[in-house]
Amino acid sequence: MVLYCLGIESTAHTFGVSVATDKGEILSDVRDVYTSAPGTGIHPREAAEHHSEVAARVVSQSLTQAGIRATKLAGVAVALGPGLGPCLRVGATVARALSSYLQIPLIPVNHAIGHIEIGTLTAGASDPLVVLVSGGHTAIAAFSGGHWRIFGETEDITLGNLYDMFAREIDLPSPAGPEIEKLAQKSSGFISLPYVVKGNDVSYSGLLTASLAELRSGRRLEDVCYSMQEVSCSMLAEAVERSLAYTGKKELLLTGGVAANKTLQSKLSEVAKLHDAAYYVVAGRYSGDNGAQIAWTGMLALRAGVVAEIDQARVRPKWRLEDVDIPWRDEGAA
Amino acid sequence: MQPKLIYKGAEAEIYLEEWFGKPAIRKHRISKAYRIPELDEAIRRMRTSHEANMMHEVRKLGVPVPTIQHIDLESSTLIMDYVNGPTLKEELYRLSMHGRRERCASLGVLLARMHEGGIVHGDMTISNVLSEGGKLFMIDFGLGDFSKETEDKGVDLLLLNRAMKSTHYAFHTVLFNAFMKGYVSIAGEKQGKEMLHKMREIEKRGRYFERG
Repeated sequence: MVLYCLGIESTAHTFGVSVATDKGEILSDVRDVYTSAPGTGIHPREAAEHHSEVAARVVSQSLTQAGIRATKLAGVAVALGPGLGPCLRVGATVARALSSYLQIPLIPVNHAIGHIEIGTLTAGASDPLVVLVSGGHTAIAAFSGGHWRIFGETEDITLGNLYDMFAREIDLPSPAGPEIEKLAQKSSGFISLPYVVKGNDVSYSGLLTASLAELRSGRRLEDVCYSMQEVSCSMLAEAVERSLAYTGKKELLLTGGVAANKTLQSKLSEVAKLHDAAYYVVAGRYSGDNGAQIAWTGMLALRAGVVAEIDQARVRPKWRLEDVDIPWRDEGAA
Repeated sequence: MQPKLIYKGAEAEIYLEEWFGKPAIRKHRISKAYRIPELDEAIRRMRTSHEANMMHEVRKLGVPVPTIQHIDLESSTLIMDYVNGPTLKEELYRLSMHGRRERCASLGVLLARMHEGGIVHGDMTISNVLSEGGKLFMIDFGLGDFSKETEDKGVDLLLLNRAMKSTHYAFHTVLFNAFMKGYVSIAGEKQGKEMLHKMREIEKRGRYFERG
């Protein structure tokens, strides 16, 4: 018998719903994304209003696309954090209602763990050193002792923040990674910018300030984009190299929204090569936030008995990934 | 004497060679294919000079380090005196319990001098301490920095404790206690307590777990 799990993602700009099976198939993946005007960031309340408006339609489309009835579901999973409170509450409310109405378990999922699990599933990795890069995360993690452990991370803003905050200042639309990548290709020269690696950690706030200052001083936008991208990705590559040498992991997995960046991909593949590690990237369509990462992680959690009582399934905007118990994963090669 | 590669790390290669008739160590920071040349060269140059500078500052605090003979920023290379002796990690295997305590207490004195002087090592393990006839030398200041933060000093202590645990499990408590005795003799009881507290707090975050 096949088990079906519905997953709901609403941590930031994306409201996504998906159905996954216990065989690791993603039967549906429907998303509706809130977009802010160029030059402005995500407004939590407006994003939450967007999510409320589209929720019912996205849920029903997702079930239709999967070709199953709601009564066939074994559980409903929801990303309870980390993320923006107002946005999280929309997903949580929908999940509680479905769980209560259908009399099926409610499964709490950590959004970051979702990025990791959909990455290992779609790329085919088993026990990787994970590089999670998105609007909310820039972290290097490895699994040990029932938890994902953070080896390195940003000390201030994330790589996604760096690109988005830079873009906002110059009225580019968000998420800005792809646009910055395009501009960088038209660059004609490198500008020296602050490169800050502290052990396995990186710091991007100085790079943001310096990049904006260079732009205001009259440098070409293309050159600033190129240099900022080179420096930020090289910094992360170095931190990853240190972590890889330290842990001795033989797999490297890149996942999260910024995983789509080609410069970052090529640098990390060089790092993997230097340490004889196999290199994996999350399947392109699952790099950005989506319901499938929640549905699949929910399925893994459900099979391991991780469920929440409805009245205890509260949102956790600051939920750190190393605090999540992971009873479904083997110790692997570590 | 032909240069001989004696260690290859993620960032640098270490050669044993001759410098004006005497054995010397050449530390060469290697180029990384994942960085564009302009950036790669600037970083290696900056770090070579930073490491030399840290070693100079540490020595002023009364902490023995190999004497730097030559700095070549063009090739991001440091040439320094060869310390003729094993790492503390190796030496601890063959010492008596009394000798072990003595060495670790000496290390405690050295690290406390650094910390009190506002410098943290950043990669504090017993593999980064050499012993020449019982005199300890600190090496590898690539991650060293000026810092008076309890957090940074706590990381030094934590990494050291972890290194003792992973290689000398049977008596690592003796080693660390002896180290703390030396540390406290310079930094004081109050500071010692604060550091231990900080170390446990950092440990609980679970980041610096043992490899392998």
